[in-house]
Order: sequence, then structure tokens, then C-alpha cells
Amino acid sequence: MRMKLAFATISAGMLLAATVPVLAHHSFSATYDGNKPITLKGTVSKLGWQNPHAHIYVDVKNPDGKVVTWEVESAGPTALLKQGLRKEDFIGAEVVIKGFLAKDGTPTVNASSFTLVESKKEFVNEQTTP
Amino acid sequence: MKQLMIVLGVALTLGVQAVALAQTRPDFSGTWRLNVGKSGPNVAGNTPNIPFPSQIAVKQTPTDISVESTSVRQQPVSAVFKLDGSKVTVQAPEGISETGEAKFDGGNLVITSRRSFSSPAGDVVVDFKEIWSLSGSMLTIEKTRTQSGDTSNSKAVYDKT
Repeated sequence: MRMKLAFATISAGMLLAATVPVLAHHSFSATYDGNKPITLKGTVSKLGWQNPHAHIYVDVKNPDGKVVTWEVESAGPTALLKQGLRKEDFIGAEVVIKGFLAKDGTPTVNASSFTLVESKKEFVNEQTTP
Repeated sequence: MKQLMIVLGVALTLGVQAVALAQTRPDFSGTWRLNVGKSGPNVAGNTPNIPFPSQIAVKQTPTDISVESTSVRQQPVSAVFKLDGSKVTVQAPEGISETGEAKFDGGNLVITSRRSFSSPAGDVVVDFKEIWSLSGSMLTIEKTRTQSGDTSNSKAVYDKT
């Protein structure tokens, strides 16, 4: 009985572990609206440096003065490093992002490119998932 | 006799103009599919710099051009443009307002449009300019996106299906 329970627990754990990366690595068209391109300018407040996508959290001041924190989905750390961007480059940096709005209306974008204003470091996303 | 000559002259002039117009205006009618390999970088897929539809259906008459753009899992955008360059409303997905105009510039079709929608960052306005050119069964679209004072360009190539 104990053996059976242990087997069931391990199986469930393996299944969950396999599901998480699949959920994290979604296609662009399922989540983002290709008809809504947007350009944002703000300051990086937090960074999620993980695979398959790095997440950059950017504080953007709206025309009415209200600050909104945007979640910017980028390529993974390997792709960022390949283009000369390191983890240390982000926090506190002013950034200009070009991307597409999320379909669900939340302050979330998929970055097609971004530029760190001071260091002039640029990133262009070259992934081609439909 | 004089009147007849004038009528014939006018008819001839109009006829020549019509032929000249037909010669300079290519017909973009057909269904066009994006050829990623022949297009510029980042026109499709995960993160295009400028959004290009994966397929365009076009119907052209001497006065109008109807354009329906579709992309994978994206809602279609369509419009019937008057070829005299007058402004029309583009049928865009819910939450997007768009107007545009089209006119021929020599052998090229030029479509300009202004798209606006709301976002958590306030109202967003994007201007697009597309220059269409035809070469056999290949359609090339050069597109410029202008937003918040920033301009970017990209080029996409479509094959006739």
C-alpha cells in the first residue's frame, strides 16, 4: 500500500514537472494580440532571469501620472546573453520596449525588441514560434 | 463637322487616359500567403517588429480595392478602400478603431492607416504606411510603423496561392 502511494506521488510529480515547461513555453499568437503593437518607456524594477523566457518588470508612468508595473516577456537568458545583455544590466535601468499587448488586457507585453537607454544595449527577439 | 471632331477628340483623349491608367495600375487581386524565407527579418512568428498578416485576400476593381488580412489565431482586419484616396473605416477587431486610405503612386499601391486602442498605459495611436508592389506572382509590402515618435520599417514578401 505504502509502495503504491509512493509510486502514485512520484508519477504525479513527474507529470506536473513535465506540464510546467509546456505551459511556460506558449506560442505568441495564443497569448498576445498581433494587432496591438505598443511602445513603452520605463524603469526596470524586477527581473525574472529564467528559461524559457526572461520576464522584465518595468514601471511605466502613464500620461495621468499613475505608475503601472508591466510584465515584459522576453527571450530566455541564453538568447539575451548572446546579444550581450547580462542579468546585472537590468535593475534600475531605463528601457524602451517595443512589443505586443496581451490579449487578456493586463499590463503584459511580449517584447519584439528593447533598448537599455543609458548603456545603449539592444535586444531583438529572433524566435519564430507562430 | 467641327462638333463631331471635338466629340471624337474628347473620346480619344479619354480612351488614351483609360488605357494609360490600366497600364500603370497592376491588379493585386488574389490570395497571398506570407513567404517568411523571402521576407525581411522578424516579420512573423513570436515577435515581429512590425505585424504582417500571414495571409491577405485582395479583390480589386477600377475604383475599389478590398483587403482582408488574417494571421494565425488573430482576428482578421478588413477594409474596402476607394482608390481615389478617400478615407474609409477599417473593420478591425473589437477594441480597435482604424481608418485608412489607399491610392496608386505609379505602379505601387500606397495604403496609410491610423489605428487606435486603449491599453493599461493609456490610449495608443499607431500609424502605418504600406507600399505594395507586384512582380509576377510575388507581392512585396514595405511597411512603416510610427508610434510615440518612433519609426520602424520592415519588408514582407507574399506568394500568390
